[in-house]
Order: sequence, then structure tokens, then C-alpha cells
Amino acid sequence: MSTLGTRTGTTSPRPGELLLKVDGLAKSYTSKGKRTDIIGNLTFSVNAGEVVCLVGPSGVGKTTLLKCLAGLHPSTGGEMSIDGRRIYSPPPEMALVFQDYSRSLMPWLTVEKNLRLPLRHLRLPQSEVRTRILDALAAVGLSHAAKQYPWELSGGMQQRVAIARALAYRPEILIMDEPFASVDAQTRFDLEDLVLKIRDDYGMTVLLVTHDIDEAVYLSDRIVAIGLRPAVVLEELTVDLPLPRNQLDTRALPRFAELRNHTLSLIQHASAKPTPSAMEDAVPGAAGAPA
Amino acid sequence: MPDGVRLSPSARRASRSGEPRSLGRFAHLAYGVLGAVLVLGLWQAAAASGRFGSGLPSVLETLSALAGLLGTAAFWSELGATIGIAAIGLAVSSVIGVVFGVLAGRFPLVRSATLAVTEFLKPIPPIVVLPLAVMIWGPTQQMAIFLVIVGCALAIAIQTIAGVEDVDPVALSTARSYGIGTAESLWRIVLPSSLPFIGTAMRIAAPASLVVTVVAGLLGGSPGLGRSIYLAQSAGEVANMYALVVVLGVLGVAAQGISSAAERRLLHWHPSFRKTGS
Repeated sequence: MSTLGTRTGTTSPRPGELLLKVDGLAKSYTSKGKRTDIIGNLTFSVNAGEVVCLVGPSGVGKTTLLKCLAGLHPSTGGEMSIDGRRIYSPPPEMALVFQDYSRSLMPWLTVEKNLRLPLRHLRLPQSEVRTRILDALAAVGLSHAAKQYPWELSGGMQQRVAIARALAYRPEILIMDEPFASVDAQTRFDLEDLVLKIRDDYGMTVLLVTHDIDEAVYLSDRIVAIGLRPAVVLEELTVDLPLPRNQLDTRALPRFAELRNHTLSLIQHASAKPTPSAMEDAVPGAAGAPA
Repeated sequence: MPDGVRLSPSARRASRSGEPRSLGRFAHLAYGVLGAVLVLGLWQAAAASGRFGSGLPSVLETLSALAGLLGTAAFWSELGATIGIAAIGLAVSSVIGVVFGVLAGRFPLVRSATLAVTEFLKPIPPIVVLPLAVMIWGPTQQMAIFLVIVGCALAIAIQTIAGVEDVDPVALSTARSYGIGTAESLWRIVLPSSLPFIGTAMRIAAPASLVVTVVAGLLGGSPGLGRSIYLAQSAGEVANMYALVVVLGVLGVAAQGISSAAERRLLHWHPSFRKTGS
């Protein structure tokens, strides 16, 4: 394994072992005395070395789920753990990649300094910091852009910088929130393949949220489809498409179409039918609830 | 100085890109010189008409008085005192304004606890505090520095608060998700994010600090060009008085230029200053 592997000194799970566990997660907001349940009772897990996609219709609470998972928002029920340790605050084993690269990268810092930003408080030796930054930039193919500012780069390159920043942090799991929703189709394909390459080369575990079902099928070892309000797991399905995948052949497989159609019908079915409790809560004109 | 100037960075970008392209660089300069010459001509004509008596010396008299002043040691020491008071006052104001602004912008508790006091102080111009300051410190440098702080700190704080409130929540979430602590996040995320607002505040505060310094000298007798103007006036040296006012004008332009250049340098990454890309 390359120097980009998972953090050293901890007993990280071996490939296939349980890494992230979400058990009965619930999240509700109370505003003006009225309770809104966003997430009902959500249970799933991610094993080390897996690429898992969470798919669901817009507004189902995928981003809320990720924020709970990342320790950014407190959950209102259930448990989450990583490496067997419960998550209360942002865990060091996790790195987040946001959809909005232009807002998550700091425009006053060069690419290199953006990568350095989350490493500062780890108090690593300078040589280690340099190695991590150079390795991470090489992994996303941006070694030449170290001294540039993010806004001098294209959207796809900026998202690569965000991914490199996450890699340099050496997490055990990369959590990505609709990471490719703001780039054009061709760039999107390139970035999807970059995710698969990172998994193959570095054994990185990836949990990716998307509303793009084709993307989920293409990337995943497993898909966790969520839906309804409050959100629950509709189905977990194993994506048994052969590895390595590529944009032309994988997407042309009959099995790809089957998995895609199955997932799509799951989600369409779920968005057409709110849960009984949600029906009672439903307010006319309140369609398209917040994500 | 005008309080609560909340120029959003995007509004500034619009005004910046709209302005210089309408004229060529040369024409821009030429019209500027033309305007200045016109004003000087009007001044000369008004002085020559004799309507204002000895209250208005001619342009030439003023310039020769200026040349005379430039040869005296007293002038240079008063100029130095003015710049020193304004610079120290501005530096202290920025530290107070930025530190307080970041804390008040980031922590609602600080904001609530200080809101009543700051709102009360906002409409009070520094000149109102002058008699009090003179009573405490006398006609001294400290008194003038205190007045500059009264005049500038709050305005810088108010702009800083606006800047802190404008910090992108995604940037803050990013920092938190990487385990970056509150203090480091304030220093490395919140402060640089707020710099465009702080830069605007400083660009306005730099000339304002000079104005307050001069007022303190003129009315409070603290060292500096303000006091020189007062002394020239009471001695009936009208041309000298005008020459000093011209010097103040030049000083104001320089202060504005330096703060603009500093802003451009510090904010080279900001959309309104970027040279490349979109």
C-alpha cells in the first residue's frame, strides 16, 4: 500500500470489516413548538474498503443525515459509531467533501495551503505534511497546480483539490455530499473514475450521497436507498457489476440497466407515497420540504 | 465618519468594473488634470476679484507660502506629529475594532451584551468627546490619539461584524469537520473571510483618522498641523493657513492611496481584485 494509506498508529479495520455503523438514527427539528421529523429510524453500515452510495429523492434529508454522521449536527435518536467509537463530534477518521467546492475551498489560500489547512492542528512534522500534500495532489493529478489559487482552476479541478485535501488528512472514510452535482457531464465521469481509482489504489472507504441513480450504480459496491418522510432505508442492494468499471462498458451492461431501473422505481414509489404520519403533518403548499 | 457603511463585496465589484472602462487611461488622467486646473483657475479669479479681501490669498501666494513652510523644521515636526497621531490612532482602532468585531460577530452573547452601548455610541461624533478628553489629558498627543480611536474604532468594528456575518457557513462546516478548533477557525477562516469588509472600513477610516487628528489640533490644541492652522489663523498668516490646508489635502490623498494599495495587496484573491479567471 502506498504512503497515502489510512492513518497510522490506530487499529483500523481490515478490508471487509465493519467501519461505520448507523443504528436507528433519528433527527427532528422543533420550531415554533412544532416538531418536524426529518429522519425516522435509519440503520445501515459501511465496511472498510467499500464504496457505498446513499441515494434518495431531493429533500429526503440526505444532507441532514451526513451532517449528523459527520458530527456537525446532533442527532435526536439512535447511535452512530466509527471503528466502534460513538460519534458525538467530527471524528478524525472522517473527511468530508462538499458539493460546493467553491465555498469549501478558501479563496485566499493557494491549493497547497488549502491542503495544509486541516493538517495544522495535527502538529505533524513538516516533512510529513509536505509528503502528504504532494502525495494527495499527485493522486488527483494536480501536482502542477500547487501554487495556484482555487479560483484559477476549473470547477472539476477545484473539486479535485477538495478531494486531495480530504486525502491529505488521511481519513479512514471519505464522506462525499453530492460531490459532482455542480460540474459538467464529462467532468463528472472523470471525477467518478477518480473516486474508484482512490478506492483501488489506497483502499479508501467511501460513503457518497447522490440523487443521481446512474452515478450510484456505477460507483457502488452497495446502494442504500432512502426515502419517505421521515426518512428510512427503503432497501439495501449489492451492486454485482464486475470490477474494474469503466464508463463505456459498465454503463452498457444489461445488469446496469436492471439495477438502475430497480433503484429508480424504489425511489419513485417512495416519493409518491408519504408515510402516514407525514400525511397528518402535511401542510398544503409545503411540498418540496428542505433537504 | 459615515457609520454602518455596508458595501457588500459584490456591489463593489459591480461599481469597480463599471467605472474605469468608460474612458481610456490617458483620457481619464487628462480630464482629472483639466478639472484640477479649472478649480485652481476659479480660485485665482476669486482671489483676484478682491471680493474676499485678505481672507483669500491667490494661488501663487499660497504656493509661495507653502514653499516657505517646507523649509522650516517646525513644519516637518508638526507634519510628523500629525501622521504619528493618525497612524497610532488608526492602528489601535483597527486592533480594537477587528478583535471586538470578530467576537461580537461570532458570539451572540458578546453581541447582545454590547449592542446597547455600541448603538448609543454610534451617533456620537468624536468632537463631542473632545472637551472631556482635553480635561483629562490636556492638549497632548494622547488626547488626540484617544479622539482618533473614538472616531474610528466603532466604525471598523461595525464593518467587521458585517464581514463576520457574511462568512460562508460551508467554509465553517469544512473547518469543523476537519476538527479545526474555535480559535484557529476564527484566525484562519473567519478573519480572512471578513477582510473585504475590513478593507472597506480601513479605506474610509484612514482619511477619517487624519480629519480627527486635525480637529483635535485645531480645537483641542494637540500637536500637529491642526494646531499650526489655528496658530497661523490667529497670527493673521492667511497664506500659511491655506498652504497648511493644501498639505492636509495631499496627506488625505496619500492616506487613501496607501490604504487602497494595501487593500489591493491583501485582497488580491478577492473577486473584485482578481487579475485572472472569473
